[in-house]
Amino acid sequence: MAAIELEGLTKEYGDVVANDSLTFTVETGEIFGFLGPNGAGKTTTIRTLLGFVSPTAGTARVLGRDVAEESALLEAKRRIGYLSDEPGFDEQRTGADVLDLHAAIKGDSRRAELLELFDPPLDRRVREYSQGNARKLGIVTAFMHDPDLAILDEPTNGLDPLMRQRFADFLRAERQRGATVFFSSHNLSEVRRLCDRVGIIREGALVTIEPVDALLRRSGKVIRIRSAEPIPTDALGIEGVHDLETSVADDVDGVDPSTAFTECLFTFTGDINAVLDRLGEYELIDLSIEEAPLEDVFMRFYGGTDDV
Amino acid sequence: MFEIARYEGRNRLKGSVYLSIGMALLAAMVVWVYPSFSGAFGGDELLEAYPEEMLQVFRIETMTSLEGFLAFELYTFGWIVLLGLYVAYVAAGTVADDVDRGRMDTLLAMPISRARLVAEKFLAVGVPIVVVNLLTPIVLLVGSRLIDEPLAVADVVAVHLLSIPYLFACAGIGLVCSVVFDRVGVAQRAALGATFALFLVESLLVETDYAELGAIAPMRYYDPNEILLDGTFDPVGVAVLVGMTVALLVASQLLFRRADI
Repeated sequence: MAAIELEGLTKEYGDVVANDSLTFTVETGEIFGFLGPNGAGKTTTIRTLLGFVSPTAGTARVLGRDVAEESALLEAKRRIGYLSDEPGFDEQRTGADVLDLHAAIKGDSRRAELLELFDPPLDRRVREYSQGNARKLGIVTAFMHDPDLAILDEPTNGLDPLMRQRFADFLRAERQRGATVFFSSHNLSEVRRLCDRVGIIREGALVTIEPVDALLRRSGKVIRIRSAEPIPTDALGIEGVHDLETSVADDVDGVDPSTAFTECLFTFTGDINAVLDRLGEYELIDLSIEEAPLEDVFMRFYGGTDDV
Repeated sequence: MFEIARYEGRNRLKGSVYLSIGMALLAAMVVWVYPSFSGAFGGDELLEAYPEEMLQVFRIETMTSLEGFLAFELYTFGWIVLLGLYVAYVAAGTVADDVDRGRMDTLLAMPISRARLVAEKFLAVGVPIVVVNLLTPIVLLVGSRLIDEPLAVADVVAVHLLSIPYLFACAGIGLVCSVVFDRVGVAQRAALGATFALFLVESLLVETDYAELGAIAPMRYYDPNEILLDGTFDPVGVAVLVGMTVALLVASQLLFRRADI
């Protein structure tokens, strides 16, 4: 049985189509990344899966239960952990109070273990929490009852890099235990580190679903170079260089900016060794290779327009 | 069961105690001014100077006894209007505030039905409704003896006990507003407006051809004058208030079940 199945799921708010006939399946035991720019409709899909909004058309099933049937969905919710994109806790009570309420309703067999990893200040009122602490509290509430399926909306928003890493390790361990994770993100590198498969949503419609390594091969890197000496622009005449922008630093004299550069920026989808071979003979000050921003991935591969 | 009600009830406890103290102070003040008031005016001649409509709105029957004075100064003004509006306002915040602030998702992601959530949140409004009725009767019974106008224990207890179904019915009006409007400010204003409008409809139309309109107002079924002056009450009125409360709760549950949040 698939953990999540969507079939033609559509949600319209008046003239706005938040979800446009989404059809895909999340298999049991995988980490599935639901990727798209802000406003693409990710949160609407997630909120439909949990029964907060009802679909205009189409169906969805979580853990085999139809999301349109409240009593069936309640059965599924005993085995689902959810983290919303905004903290969403009672601000006048302490973190411990919030956990006690969740424990009373759905159980807390893993509470202590989770609090070792993610340690929000439980004695303080939620009002005084930083964004990161609220997120940690949310992670504990999402997993404290040992769910089979975790549905997480932008789970790492507000977490510092250390906690992000810890959370990534935690999710991998969850997958090892056989749990299914469905999470949304607008951050490609996060999805890259974690996911088995990725679904990309844009303007409410599904653009593609593919294994994460295939997506990354296509998305490319952003490469930034600063050199001590001028490099002829021809040196970068290799396959896979896109959107090359070059300039010459002010303190370097006698260089024709149309044929050489000391600083450049481009997106690269080819073999990284080819670039390094070409640069090897020049003295560099700095070189950075980063994931392409998701916006660029959309622009390059899916005919994106300026609005992404 | 009742996890949400317990949790929300605890949230409401502190405010309810302050409210209870405030209303008890108001009661003490009314008792304290009564002897000088009745000494200055003696009979009901002051009432004759008032226009009939005003006596109707404020349900003033007599001021020649402490009971009549309290029925108007404390119960019509304090309980029927002030507390009626207050609990409607509080109930209007129950669901709408959580939806407005993004807390509802976290609650409903737990295995709890929407109907149960609404019912338990409504139940928690019972905390102020009950707590506000605990302190004032004691203050009145002691105070009335201090000024040598002793009130009947049974009547004072009854007037407070019977205010509970009345206040729940007002809270029911707020609850409906809370599920209809997802902006908490709008829900609260609508609840205050609706409750006050019902009070006016019932009070102003009572002697007119449109008196039946007042039948939908909870205020018709709670009559402190009758309880305090005659020592009787209408059990049908109590049943109507309970029925109204249940109907408003069920309506709220049905509306919320189908709502997009």
